[in-house]
Amino acid sequence: MRKIIGLSVATALTCTMALAKEINVGLILPMSGAVAAYGQNAEVGVKLAHKLQPKLDNGDEIKLILVDNKGDKVETANAATRLISSDKAVALIGAMISTNTAQVISIAEKKHIPVVAPAATNDKLTMRKKYANRVCFTDSFQGSVVANYALKQNKKNAVVIVDQATVYSLGLAKAFKNTYTKGGGKILKKIRITSGDKDYKAIISQIKKINPDIIFLPVYHPEASMIARQAKELGLKTTMISGDGVANQTFIDLGGDAVNGYLFTDAFDYTNPPTKKSAEFIKAYQKQTGSNALNAFSALGADTYNLLINAMNKCEDPTNSECINKEIKKTKNFEAVTGLISIDKDGNAIKSAVIKEIVNGKAEYKATVNP
Amino acid sequence: MDLLTFMQQMVNGFSLGSMYALIAIGYTMVYGVLRLINFAHGDIMMVGAFLAYAVISIFNLPFSVAVLLSVIISALVGILTDKIAYKPLREAPRISLLITAIGISFFLENAFTVFAGGVPRPFPVPEYMQNIFNVSGVIFSTSSIMVPFVTLILLLAILFVLYKTKYGMAIRALSFDIKTVNLMGIDANRIIAIVFALGSALAAVGGIFWVINYPSVEPMMGVLVGLKAFAAAVVGGIGSVTGAVLGGFIIGFTEVVVVAFFPDMAGYKDAFAFVFLIFVLLFKPTGIMGKDLEKSRF
Repeated sequence: MRKIIGLSVATALTCTMALAKEINVGLILPMSGAVAAYGQNAEVGVKLAHKLQPKLDNGDEIKLILVDNKGDKVETANAATRLISSDKAVALIGAMISTNTAQVISIAEKKHIPVVAPAATNDKLTMRKKYANRVCFTDSFQGSVVANYALKQNKKNAVVIVDQATVYSLGLAKAFKNTYTKGGGKILKKIRITSGDKDYKAIISQIKKINPDIIFLPVYHPEASMIARQAKELGLKTTMISGDGVANQTFIDLGGDAVNGYLFTDAFDYTNPPTKKSAEFIKAYQKQTGSNALNAFSALGADTYNLLINAMNKCEDPTNSECINKEIKKTKNFEAVTGLISIDKDGNAIKSAVIKEIVNGKAEYKATVNP
Repeated sequence: MDLLTFMQQMVNGFSLGSMYALIAIGYTMVYGVLRLINFAHGDIMMVGAFLAYAVISIFNLPFSVAVLLSVIISALVGILTDKIAYKPLREAPRISLLITAIGISFFLENAFTVFAGGVPRPFPVPEYMQNIFNVSGVIFSTSSIMVPFVTLILLLAILFVLYKTKYGMAIRALSFDIKTVNLMGIDANRIIAIVFALGSALAAVGGIFWVINYPSVEPMMGVLVGLKAFAAAVVGGIGSVTGAVLGGFIIGFTEVVVVAFFPDMAGYKDAFAFVFLIFVLLFKPTGIMGKDLEKSRF
């Protein structure tokens, strides 16, 4: 009798083991290249979220497959195609910057695979797209937050430095302009730069002549840090403000003393955890790394994963991409690390933003702005 | 434009142009002897910058030692690339050499990405390089004023080597005809190694100046700078050392002038630099200091 029971228990165990599937989820992030800092931050968040919750409610195991897109368009397209066709990923997380995320979305759209973007803020990304979703705010929101903040500080004349090679920069500059000029601000000059360049002394010499109240730089950290450094060298003391493109430690490392007083918007501040979930996650992060300084991109990375798992749990067949996508779009007031997230029918997240200032090499919380 | 801004932009242009010039010399010298456009040269500059970074931040040695070690090791890397990649192809068509050069370039970029990661690192610039001077409103740092001087000194040194030493004579002879030089009892491969060493050492100096002025070290940093230095070498007349320096200044000034006179076009300054290159090639295919294509020698 005991033998029979033992046998049946063993069979039961093997049965559940066999039933529990392994589900592939693709992760496309820049682990090298100019924007590698973003990707590596996000990876930390996704991996930690995965470690905390590696299984679905029904016991299926999630397998993350990470591909480095090097921040490059072609690499991104290859990565998305590979993950969908040969790895049979049921959903994709990534990429970091808007330009690359657009590649991922255009491929996923054709194959009907849902994408959850951690930090791509360009407005147009999710327009007329069925499978595109994000956990971050959009540029039009971010741009208006920056513009209103500048106006409130009575800085009415601005110079905008826009990186014409990235959709992030162009979109954010446009959003800023709309709110800023409507609110009575004046854009004295829009200066175009191209990412990858290092020398901005000629531009800074020009700005010194214009003498604006504030400089808005909707650019990524490699350019912003060089501009801040050279501005300091040439004695330009105007306040600079950016979007979330500079929201990482690498920016402060590269900028040194020159970025003191620099303002930027961010998705999240670890000293003010907005939900119980974020407090828990910060604790887990501290346990793993020894520091509680959770980067916003890591937090957003964790959110992409948790949101995806939440949607998969609601599906009867968690490998059904159509169902996952439908459930993602139904998300309302989801308790995420970066705060409460609701996804609208376009796949955009509705959530608040944080403004920070760099003081003595540390990003300090200044204000939270609600949508 | 007022005089002050003009003077400031001149200082900006001089310091940027000198860095292009330092790297352009290497392009021009290798082309002079091997008829090879060494596309890996921009990456040698990156290697130089990385070595200096490593010496300072990992081994905690002073800046001057870092510069010395970086220059020496970069020169060795230059010799090594020649030995491994280019030497077996001496008799091969030029196009094979060119493709190999691009391959070496990719190899160096990716090797450094593997070892150092892709995230840009801040270069620890010594304090005395960051001193800011203000001469009646024109502002410059120690480093930006040092670059043009160092460039000129190094140019004179290279010209001295080329025209006043036995090795220089061998290099010039080599650029006429490798086979005949071999028959004269000169070890051509040794002379070519010297050329690679000199060019790479200069690239390392250029790279170190580059990261002093723009303190961010990353594996892809040599790509665009390398291309512009190549443009500088062609504008100046590829094969001519003085031309390379002149071309470097021209490219540097073009960039600055575009921003100064057409601020709205600032984002297209790279395009301007290359359009300038196209114009020079249209009207003077051999570049400014170049003589004729077959016989232009240093």
